[in-house]
Parts: sequence; C-alpha cells; structure tokens
Amino acid sequence: MTARHLPLVDEGALPYEHPLYETLLSIPGLSVVTAPLDALLTWGTKNALWVFPMATSCCGIELMAAAASRVDLDRMGTIIRATPRQGDVMVVAGTITVKMAPRVKLLWDQMPEPKWCIAMGSCAISGDFYRDLYPVVPGVDTFMPVDVYIPGCPPNPEALMHGLLRLQEKIGLRREGKLTQAEYRPGLLDLTKPRVGRLGDVTRDAGLSDAQLEDVSDMTRRDLAEESSEIVPRAEPVREAIASSSQEIEALLRDDFGVTEFPKDAAPLVSRGDHRRLAHRLRALGYAQLIYVVATHFPAKKTDPERFEVAYALRSIGRKSTVVAWRVALAADETIASIVGVFAGADWQEREQFDLVGVRFEGHPDLRRILLPADWSGHPLRKDYAADTAHPPWR
Amino acid sequence: MNELVHGALYGTLIATAILSTIAMGIWFERKFAGRMQQRLGPTIVGPAGLLQPFADIIKLLQKEDIVPRDADRGLFDLAPILAVVCSLGVAAVIPFSPSIIASDLDVGVLWVLGIGGLMVIPTFAAGWGSNNKFALLGAMRAIAQSVSYGVPLVLAVLVPVVLSGSLSISGIVAWQAQHHWFAVWPIVPGLPAFVIFFLAMLAESNRIPFDIPEAESELVAGITTEYTGAKFTLFYMAEYVHTLVGSALGAALFFGGWDGPFAPGLHWMVLKTLTLFVLIYWVRWSLLRFRADQLMRLCWTWLTPIGVALLLVSAAWVTFGGTN
Amino acid sequence: MEITVEVQSATRGSVDPHLSIHAYEAEGDLMLLHFGPQHPSTHGVFRMDLHLDGETIVKATPYIGYLHRGVEKLCEKLTYVQQTPIVDKNDYVAPMTNEQALNMAFEKLLNIEVPRRARYLRTIFAELQRVASHLVWLAAQSIDLGGALGGGSTLFLHCLRERELIMDLFEEVSGARFHYNTHTIGGNRHDLPDGWSKRAQAAISQIESRLSEYEDLSLGNQIFVDRMKGVGVLSAALALELGISGPVLRGSGVDHDLRRDAPYHAYDELEVQVAVEQGGDCLARAKVRFREIRESLRLARVAIDGIPEGPICSFKPTRQPTQVKLTGGQAYAALESPRGELGTFVIAGGDTPTSPYRLKIRAPSLHALAAIPYIVPGANVSDAVAILGSLDPIMGEVDR
Ligand code: SF4
Repeated sequence: MTARHLPLVDEGALPYEHPLYETLLSIPGLSVVTAPLDALLTWGTKNALWVFPMATSCCGIELMAAAASRVDLDRMGTIIRATPRQGDVMVVAGTITVKMAPRVKLLWDQMPEPKWCIAMGSCAISGDFYRDLYPVVPGVDTFMPVDVYIPGCPPNPEALMHGLLRLQEKIGLRREGKLTQAEYRPGLLDLTKPRVGRLGDVTRDAGLSDAQLEDVSDMTRRDLAEESSEIVPRAEPVREAIASSSQEIEALLRDDFGVTEFPKDAAPLVSRGDHRRLAHRLRALGYAQLIYVVATHFPAKKTDPERFEVAYALRSIGRKSTVVAWRVALAADETIASIVGVFAGADWQEREQFDLVGVRFEGHPDLRRILLPADWSGHPLRKDYAADTAHPPWR
Repeated sequence: MNELVHGALYGTLIATAILSTIAMGIWFERKFAGRMQQRLGPTIVGPAGLLQPFADIIKLLQKEDIVPRDADRGLFDLAPILAVVCSLGVAAVIPFSPSIIASDLDVGVLWVLGIGGLMVIPTFAAGWGSNNKFALLGAMRAIAQSVSYGVPLVLAVLVPVVLSGSLSISGIVAWQAQHHWFAVWPIVPGLPAFVIFFLAMLAESNRIPFDIPEAESELVAGITTEYTGAKFTLFYMAEYVHTLVGSALGAALFFGGWDGPFAPGLHWMVLKTLTLFVLIYWVRWSLLRFRADQLMRLCWTWLTPIGVALLLVSAAWVTFGGTN
Repeated sequence: MEITVEVQSATRGSVDPHLSIHAYEAEGDLMLLHFGPQHPSTHGVFRMDLHLDGETIVKATPYIGYLHRGVEKLCEKLTYVQQTPIVDKNDYVAPMTNEQALNMAFEKLLNIEVPRRARYLRTIFAELQRVASHLVWLAAQSIDLGGALGGGSTLFLHCLRERELIMDLFEEVSGARFHYNTHTIGGNRHDLPDGWSKRAQAAISQIESRLSEYEDLSLGNQIFVDRMKGVGVLSAALALELGISGPVLRGSGVDHDLRRDAPYHAYDELEVQVAVEQGGDCLARAKVRFREIRESLRLARVAIDGIPEGPICSFKPTRQPTQVKLTGGQAYAALESPRGELGTFVIAGGDTPTSPYRLKIRAPSLHALAAIPYIVPGANVSDAVAILGSLDPIMGEVDR
C-alpha cells in the first residue's frame, strides 16, 4: 500500500449519529422524549472517552505518566485501549514521520465513529523543530481532523487531562449544534512549502534582534555584553583524540598497512583495499566491539571532485577500554568492502549509511534502505540534499 | 406449565440481577484496581464514580458498528450473542436460595459443564470470523486452553458430586446444608478440589494469570480486536458474567451455597459469590501471565493428576465410612 | 574470506538473520504476523514481521525508521550551542545522558576542561537518570508480561510513581519535567537550588526502600522468573560482535562498563561496582538492571555528599548560538547511558565554522535491536514480547 492511494481528508463529513438515534429523531413529536435522551447520550459519550494511544515518541511517555498514579486519567473514566476499534479519542503523542503517517491515517480510519483526535505536543501539532526536515509530517492536521491541540514539548500530564476536559466541552457543544466540524486544515500543507529559510540561516540565528533586545531585562543585556566573545578551540591538540594513539596500533598500521600519516585530530586514513583486513586484525587484537560506521559526503569543490569518507571505530573490552578508529577515502563512484563478515553489528550500520549517505558496501548481504521508506529517492545526509525536501502527499 | 412460569420468572430475575451486579462489578473492579495501584479510580462521573460503567455502556452503544470487509459476517455477528447466552445459561441451574433457582435440573452439573464448555464456540467464531490474525491466534490459544482446562474442571466438580451423591446442584447444596461444606470437610478432597476448580475456572474465563487468549501486550485485544460498540459491550459483559457465574458455582459446590446461620439463604449466597468474585480480581491485579506452554504444563502435569487423585480419594471416602 | 566463515559459525550460531523464508519447510502453512509499528508492546514504533509456524517464530524481520526524524541533518544545520535541546529528544527516557554525550564530544573538540563541580553534577544527573530509565524499563517489561489490564499494570504504575520523584528533582534544577536542556558546552547551565541535596537524599532513600518491594514483585514472582528464564539467550560473543553494550552486554556475562573502564565525569573519583550476570537470557538482563539501580542510587548518594564548591561552567553559559566556532577536527566521545555506550562522533569544519560538518549519534538501542533476528526465532509470540522488553530499546535513538 502506498501512501498515495489513501484519501487524505473525507471532505464535508457531518458529525456522526448512530442510526438508531437518527431514526428516533426523525419521528415527529418525539422531542419530549428525545431531549432527555439526548442529554443522557451526550453525558455517556462525554464521560467515557477511551483513548487509543498513537504514542510514537517522547510525548507518549507523558501519556503513560498521565495514566499513572499522579494524574490518573481513570478518574474521569478514561482508559487506554490498544485496539483502534475500541477507542474514542486518538491521542497523537509524538512526531509523525512520512513513514508512519500512512499507518496513522489507516488506524484513524479504523476507529469507529463518533471519534475525536487530540494532537498532543508540538510535534503532533506542527512538527516542532523537525518541521522543516525531510522525514517529518508538519502536523497531523495536514491529513486528518484534529479536535484539541495541546501545546508543549512535551505537555505535562496535567495538560493532557485539561485537553480531555476541553474535548468534553467541545463534544457537548457539538451535540447542541454549536460546533459542527472538527478543524482540519489540509491547506496547512501548502503553507509549509514556500517559507522563509530557517535552518542554518545565520542572520536569523545570530542572537537576539534589536527589537527583542529592547525587551529583555538589564540583567540579560549585561550578560550578553560580557559574552560577546567567541569560544574557539585552545591551541593544544585535541585531548585523547580518536586517532589511534597507542604505540602498538600505530606500529601495526605503519608496518602492515602502509599508513604514513597520523593526524593529531582525526583517525588515520587506510587504503580501500586494506580496510577489511584491518578490521580482522584489530578484532584478533581484542578490539571486539563495533562502535560506529560513519560515512561523510564531500561535494565537489572547485578543485576537488566529489568524494566520500567512511570512518570506523572499534572498542576493546574490559578495564582500560580504548577506541581505535580509521578512515577510508572513496571517490564518488567507488564502493567499499563491507565488514559484516567480521562484525555482525555492521549490518545495520552499513545499511544506515547506505540509506542516508548513499555509500555502497560491497558484499553486504542485504543492502536495503533501513530508516527511510523503500520508495524514497535520494540520500538525505548528502550535502547537496535540501533538508526540507518535500515528500508528497505527506509533507 | 407451572414450572415454565417459575423458570421464566426466576430466570429473568436472576439474569437481571446478574447484569446489574456486573455494572457494579465493573465499577468495583476499577476502584479496587485503582487502590492497588495507588490511584483513585473513577471519581468524577456520579458519586465516587459509581455511574462510570453506565456511561461506558451508553457510549459503547452509540458507537458505529464496524464489520471488517473480509469478515465472516454470520459468525462475526453471532459470536457476541452466543458468548452472553452461554455464560448466562450456566446461571440457570445455580440455586441462589432454596427456592430462587431458574431450573432445578436433576443433571445440573452436566448442564453447567456442557454449557460452560460451549463458550469455546463463540470464542472461535469471533476469532475466525473477524479475519484478524491477532484474533485468530487468540482463538487458537483459547480453544487449546479451555479444552485442556476442561479436564481438571470436570475432575474438581466431580468431587462434590461423588461426596454428595447428587448430580443436581441444588441437591449438592442441600446436602452440604445438612452435613458440612465440602471446602471444610472432608478437608483432603474438598479444599484442594476447590483450589483446582478455582484455577480451572480462571483459565476457562480467561482471567489473569491465564488470560493468554486476550493477552493485550501480545495480541492487542485477542478475540475482541475487531469488535466495536455494542458487540464489544456484549463480549465485555459476557466476560464478567462468566466470572460472576463461576464464582457462584464455586460458592454452591464447595461453600454450601445458600447455607448459613442468622440471615436468609440469598444473603449468604450473594456474600459467598461476591467474595470469590473479589478474590478473582485480587489475583488479576497482582499477578503476571503465564506463557501458553507453561499453562499447559501446569494443567497436564499438576492439575489433572491431582484431580484424578482427589476423585479417587473422595470415592474411597464415600466407600469407606465417610459421613454418608 | 575463509576467516570470515570461521568467525560467523563460531559466534553467530545456527540462526541466519537473512534466512529466505522459502527455504524453510513447514508442515502446514506459515502465518505472517505484522507486529507493529503500532502495537501495545513494541516500545514505540518498532515493527517486526514474524513468520509463525503454529505459535513458534521461524523468522523475525525487524523494520525500523518509523521515527526517523532527521536529527543528524538537523544538527548539521544548527550551531553547536543550539543542539543540546535537540538531542534531548533522542533517547527520551534518559534525556540527561543524551545532552551529556553531545556536549562531551564538543568539549573534546574544543579541548575544554569541565569544572569539578559540573562534573559532579553531571554524575549525579546521569545516575539518577539511570534509575529513572531502569524504572521505566521495569514498568514496560511488566506490562509486556502481565498486560495493561492486570498485574503488569500494577507494577507499571508503581514504577512510574517512583520515577516521578526523580522527575521532580530534575524539574527543580532545570524547570522542565523532561527535555531538560541543562547541559552546555563546558559545564552546566543550572546550579542546584537550595536544599536540593537534602531532598534528593530523601528521594533516594524512598526509592531504595521501595525497590525491594519491586524486586519481590518481579524477581520474587515465580511467573516472572518462568517467563524470563532461558528466553532470548544472547551469547557474549554475538553480543560483542553486534556492538551491543550496556545492561544487555553485561547480562551476557561481559564485564564492561564505560564508567569504570573509560571514566568520564567524576567516575574516576568514585568506585563503580559493575553488575555482571551470566546467562544472557532475559532474566540475567533483568537482574543486571536491578543491581544497577541499587548501584546508581549509591553512586548518586556518594556524589551528592561529595559535591565540591566552585563554578558550574568553565565560562559563562553560552547565550549566543554562534558563539562556538571550530574550523576542523574530529572527535568521538562516549558515555555509559542506561542503555549502553551512547556516543557522539563529530566532524567539525566545512563552510560554517559554527555548526558541525557531520554529526553521528552512536545509539546503543540500535545495536541491541540488531540482535532480534538472531535471538527471536525459535521462541513464541509471548517470548518475543518479553525479549523485546528486555532489550529495552528506545525508538527515538534507534531511528533518530
Ligand atoms: S513535542 Fe517534544 S516531547 Fe513531544 S514528541 Fe515532539 S519532541 Fe517529543
């Protein structure tokens, strides 16, 4: 199922009424009976809001905390049900990504009417500071209706309870015919496209503007004045750099792998053909734990062609644990030997680097995308990939 | 004819009583769980949250009724109704006082075991009919479980039958009223038989620690995963009815039913039933759940052999100088 | 190439994570169960596809990325100073250690000393955070074993109650319940308020006294032990090869803890007792975590008592986002987070001296999850839930 096949918003939906109730309403002269009945039904609906938790990240922890002893949502009859079929309120707690959004929409569609949605936390409301990033949906109200917004990062459990109380009010009002529609704003999706540059815009980031400075207290202004100096690294080389500092390793690299340069602030460069052998040797020497595989993209500059650099690090186990690291330089079209055969942990690490940077690992048994959806195009951690690349229809 | 009227009248009365007890039972359980978990439980809806179950039910009845597209419509619709019918059906032969009984069958014990055993059918119908893998897994587990635990259950129930020499539940209770409660004397087949009965009953009604068919943490909501609104309400109620009726059965078979001093029989029966009911929730909110194979091992390596032994002991008791 | 084969068969056992399901010969039909991404016990948005033969799992295929938020790209765009609150959200059960790992890497790049008082503060926060995080683990694990509508939730809610005590302490310091943003390059932003130490000691005593109750409820509970024992056995060799660290590694019998083996903060002044359990099953991991809670409480207590006077930051807390400038260099700094080795690898330089060229967060949960295809097959669905719980993954840091 691809995201594209899902209808985004059911336009013009009226508030749901149970067929039995509708039949009752249609009988003339029954209003004497239906008025108290109506009140009773509304009362029932308002006071038994079962939550279907769409808890994806941090806000979900606060959702949990809200069900716990201190706030105890059960006081107002709210319990958490794990199946969408028995939920009344979907609480979207957490960042919704492009990969997750189709599932959220699907689960929302699986919930029975009447249903409501609470967007808990800035991520669910607008995407928070991830808003401008390629994998994040800028707010759930871009693809489904939201009834109550609870701001915060994360909102306190008390705030969630307040949100539920507001939802109760809203349900009452809607039954009285005052509010007929949930607020959904598919138009917001357009708003997120043409926008002022935010990320990395140094002019915007450079402290407070003059107007803002007018407002801040003397105290703050004094602090700012004192701190205008820049913090730059001290002259000495980086303490205990990731360079392979031990004599033994240096000798090994020099003698067996032909490494001549040992930079002070970076790991030594090992040739592409040697690096798998090096991994083997280091493993035999007791560097048993794979720490990281990091690929970096260096786009073409005036003089240099496009290139990649892959950094590896291993750690020795036990007392006095040390890290040994090395780098491999690659031209744009070169591949690098996978070390999955040596370290099983490299499996996911290399897949991740392939996914995000686009470096191909020769001999990897299962080189597929891992973090992004399979149909994604491009490699986001390349320098020429715009952070805010759109991915319709979700962002 | 007279019997029919009697049956209809008391049957309706008992069913109504059970169903309204259920509402209070739900409230009580939530309060009770709240206390065990250092929170308050429902407080806002009605005094002390008493109206909470009613709000729940009113809300559930208003929900949209969803039938999954690929579900087996007939089975899917039938399952919740069957579930309530089966669990209420057991109550028909349980004497709530010397006279309050819907139908005093001579083979009441057989009826209980038969109808109780039928609970498998709605469970499987729901699991199969909703075309959901979690529900299907839940149904599979439920069947394995209730078929296995049917054996110790029968064995445990046979102990009072053998001891009293009657297959009618009111007969067993009357015998206990004349002589002594089986849970008290003879203590050896009696009390252990009750323990086995209690465990098997927990398993039959899918209560923790035997609730693996609806294990929410694995199977989302087990067989009820696809059920919404009214149909879910039926399942929800059937579950409580099953537990309540099971408690009543335990009280009747092992604790002398309506027998007790000072107060009328009905009061004693209700008191004993509710005590067992609370016990079940106490267990539920304090224990974790077994895994399917551990559950089976418990059944076949412990409960069943002990049950057989107890049955033999009670037969010996009756043959060689028991109280009869 | 021959060596490779040897390595594989020695440590990885007979389970092939890339097993083609067609190669498996089942007696009946296999059932494919999509477990997650929205499921009550997948700890967030993790998904695994389970091939079931009856109830036995034949193959488990994990899928991650449902919470990939592009943090590393964001960090390349933001300045060094702006990143602390961003990484808070990665491991959202232990935000304190996230901030520390990030700032430690920057401090290494800048070659800045952190004042002794700040190092003590960091130690205290890290240890309390470890307690809070392990409490959440116990809560989640018991929900996995006991269900949200039963005994599991009783233990769950009790654990969360104790966690609130720690959250209150942190809130007093930083003003936030979580996502504290209290660390900065070169030290801390917020000093302890008056009387905090006393309240912290009181909270620690309270948690300590209640911990034995939890131990009784879980490790003293036969059902809990039966469900965890012998389930999800992870050998030490495989764990190391997968890059697993933290309690999961120590549960497999490897005596390794960065707090003792590569000390940072004030750990070189404190004696850290490393909890190691043999067995490698879920029960061993649970025992390790229980012992770690006790040890962390002890360490926090000692650190609070021994906290020195002095500045909490080596310069005035930064207020301007562009204040830190770096032209080059690479650094990797790691600490022992509640889940294992949490590290940050930074490459400075590029066109903007105020922001890193490339930043990579080494997330322990990612490596722990990689064990799933190896240890889940052969178990049944209930075990899969227990195993997942005992690995204690946090999807925020897995996906970043
Ligand atoms: S709003 Fe904040 S706390 Fe909530 S999910 Fe987003 S980042 Fe996490």
